[in-house]
Amino acid sequence: MNREWTPRIVAFVCNWCTYAAADLAGTSRMQQPDSVRIVRLMCSGRADPQFVLEAIANGADGVIVAGCHPPSDCHYQEGNYRAFRRFMLLRRVLESMGVEKERFRLEWISASEARKWVEVVRSMTEDLKRLGPLRRDEEGIKVE
Amino acid sequence: MSEKPRIGIYICHCGLNIAGTVDVEELARYAASLPDVIVARDYVFMCSEPGQNLIKEDIKEKELNRIVIAACSPSMHEQTFRSVLESAGLNKYLLEMANIREHCSWIHSDRRKATEKAKEIVRMAASKARYLEPIEEKTFPTTRNVMILGGGVAGMRAAIELAEYGFEVYLVERKPILGGKSAVIGYISPGIRGKEIVQKMFERIRGNPRIHVFTQAELIELKGFAGNFTGKLRIHPKHVNERCNECGECEDACPIEISNEYDFSLSRRKAIYKPFPGSYPEGYIIDDRVCVKCGECVRACRRKAIDLDGEEKLIEIKFGALIIAVGYDPYRPSKGEFGYGLSDSVLTLFQLERLLDEDGPTRGEPIVRGKIPETIAFVQCVGSRSTTPSSRPYCSRMCCTSALTNAIRLKEKHPEIEIFFIYRDIMTYGSDEGLYEEAGKRMIKFIKYEGEPPQVQITPEGVFIEVTDYLLQESIRIPVDAVILSTGMIPPRDLGDVIAVTRATCGEEGFLREAHIKLAPVESPTRGIYIAGSVSGPKNIRESIISGSAAAAKAMALISRGEVVAEPMIAKVDEERCSGCGICISACPYNAISIEEKEGDRLARVEDALCMGCGTCASACPSGAMQQLGFKDIQIRAQISALSEVEGK
Ligand SMILES: Cc1cc2nc3c(=O)[nH]c(=O)nc-3n(C[C@H](O)[C@H](O)[C@H](O)COP(=O)(O)OP(=O)(O)OC[C@H]3O[C@@H](n4cnc5c(N)ncnc54)[C@H](O)[C@@H]3O)c2cc1C
Ligand code: SF4
Repeated sequence: MNREWTPRIVAFVCNWCTYAAADLAGTSRMQQPDSVRIVRLMCSGRADPQFVLEAIANGADGVIVAGCHPPSDCHYQEGNYRAFRRFMLLRRVLESMGVEKERFRLEWISASEARKWVEVVRSMTEDLKRLGPLRRDEEGIKVE
Repeated sequence: MSEKPRIGIYICHCGLNIAGTVDVEELARYAASLPDVIVARDYVFMCSEPGQNLIKEDIKEKELNRIVIAACSPSMHEQTFRSVLESAGLNKYLLEMANIREHCSWIHSDRRKATEKAKEIVRMAASKARYLEPIEEKTFPTTRNVMILGGGVAGMRAAIELAEYGFEVYLVERKPILGGKSAVIGYISPGIRGKEIVQKMFERIRGNPRIHVFTQAELIELKGFAGNFTGKLRIHPKHVNERCNECGECEDACPIEISNEYDFSLSRRKAIYKPFPGSYPEGYIIDDRVCVKCGECVRACRRKAIDLDGEEKLIEIKFGALIIAVGYDPYRPSKGEFGYGLSDSVLTLFQLERLLDEDGPTRGEPIVRGKIPETIAFVQCVGSRSTTPSSRPYCSRMCCTSALTNAIRLKEKHPEIEIFFIYRDIMTYGSDEGLYEEAGKRMIKFIKYEGEPPQVQITPEGVFIEVTDYLLQESIRIPVDAVILSTGMIPPRDLGDVIAVTRATCGEEGFLREAHIKLAPVESPTRGIYIAGSVSGPKNIRESIISGSAAAAKAMALISRGEVVAEPMIAKVDEERCSGCGICISACPYNAISIEEKEGDRLARVEDALCMGCGTCASACPSGAMQQLGFKDIQIRAQISALSEVEGK
């Protein structure tokens, strides 16, 4: 496979924890792979399964949903739990569509965990490089 | 919105912060080619006045109705640019930020790759912008009073400030008395005792009817939003009422004796006790954790001031702003860390300060194991700057100053005591540098080490300190009579409970996180919740008091107007689409949604004042009827689909 190929990851992150962590990584000049496109939501609970499917349909090789640590970091009390429940369900759906589980990650990253954010970006990019681009031409992955 | 989008895209160089890595001119040319884009410009500092004027003029001249700013994080300047839109007569929510600094130029070095990524970020933002709609802001009346958690110097200062400006204040302290650690510190600088500082503050609190003090109280529930909070307090019974005249006969009668935390375990106290002379609120207190309810004190009290049956109370209070000032915990060395807990000759700095305080257990005399020591060694950075595996990485800022203050006090009282000051770096910043010079004049012997921390050896022959002197490059072993460990500051152990109730967030070291370390140092990320004192990181008394005043000013700015703008990006129901299934109700963390009958139809209804704008209901709704303003399905989906689509004009 082309060594230069960089996967594309769409990250749905909450405004209060993970977006702030990604900001802190920036302020701290922590170099990262250029694979991630961030979609800022107010809460990980807003990460609609539809968005995840849509990202995959539009060329994402992997998707991250990330928010505040359970049990009590969530700015909106329990939005992160809703995200968690949806994630578990959606991951099964995706797997049945032939999307490997490495392509869809749920992460809890607090505002101070810039290092963790960079680590997630790095390790997921590595995983996806190993898996290669997500192929959409076969039966499975078609999204409305 | 039916109006056709006319987008302006503004790309900031941020000096070289962005332009150094991203080819901003190429980015501007690219942005201009995107659908519905009328104008795209790059400029050196978009947030500067000329930058802002550029945008304002374009909005007017080119009749722009959507703006994309490609610059820093929205947490930096979203508000700035919203005001720009507003002053140009555009609804301020017709703005989308594309973060090409924190999320691009600062984290990549390859110019070509960074430029390509920036293009995608801008494309996604522009795509979302096409679907932005004006959002109407609603205002709610505010409750014009403030709750403060923590009655240390920071919380007391904030309370005094607010009350003197005419606001009602609820000062909630978990302990039976106010003052926090400053009340028991002893000498905080030559000639000034911590207690004198807090007593001056007690006077102003006592005399002010607007300050409602709740001691032995904790906040167990917080509801509402900036300007309109409701908090539930649990108040533990005091058991002793105002009839108490502090005669002390109850204390003599009480059979239970435990170690006295107000003297850092250097003395003992009864289950019914008075923390220290002049503590406030006045009167004796019963420590419910150890009281056996034998009734001896009740029988001894001639004024019938004691009631052992009091029960805890729950009360609800409404307030407009909350200040969190719950302070810090002193670092407690583990057993054996620098000899701690192995010998009575090893004390913490706090314990020495108690000994040197005239109200302390030895009336101000530094008596260690029954006598005044001939040699004393101070060991700095205990618990700080990673000296041991369990210590923290940061500098606690006040231990050098405080240790030197007390070392000088020792020399003033007993010039014959030989003092060794074992340190890595001396952090007597600002005007406290004078203490360092003064200590030198008084022949305090400074021993600097690097690397291996000193070893405190407790042997049958006595206590020794072994350390490699950095200047001599030689290991030395000093016999000493007392060792003072300069312990640092750590986040309060039960800060987690406060966080769980208030949704404040903590930063890397476990202290509360400010909204911005430089731009908003006393604001929490949540509007209406402010942070004062050492709970946001090590501070001395002066700095804690300053931040108490600052937090009070911020709280006043919020509540004094009498009304606040409610969260604008809330959920809204499309009544045409709603089938009344009620799934959104179970998704909402705030019980903001209910089902109503409307002309025979079951419809979801959002209570605007209760909705906090997380959007969780919108992603649960099976029919797409529930939408979050500013984060509507159609807006987010446009943002995502721009990942692949590059529509021509
Ligand atoms: C060894 C040592 C020596 C020091 N010496 C000096 C010195 O010489 N000079 C100097 O300027 N500074 C000194 N300091 C620092 C000084 O103690 C602090 O700057 C100051 O006490 C901070 O005040 P505060 O109000 O932020 O916190 P605190 O003094 O910690 O007060 C916090 C208050 O909040 C209460 N509280 C905690 N949790 C809750 C809750 N959940 N609900 C309600 N209330 C709660 C606590 O009971 C306490 O009363 C020293 C610190 C240490 C560790
Ligand atoms: S103030 Fe001094 S003793 Fe305290 S952590 Fe900093 S350097 Fe160490």
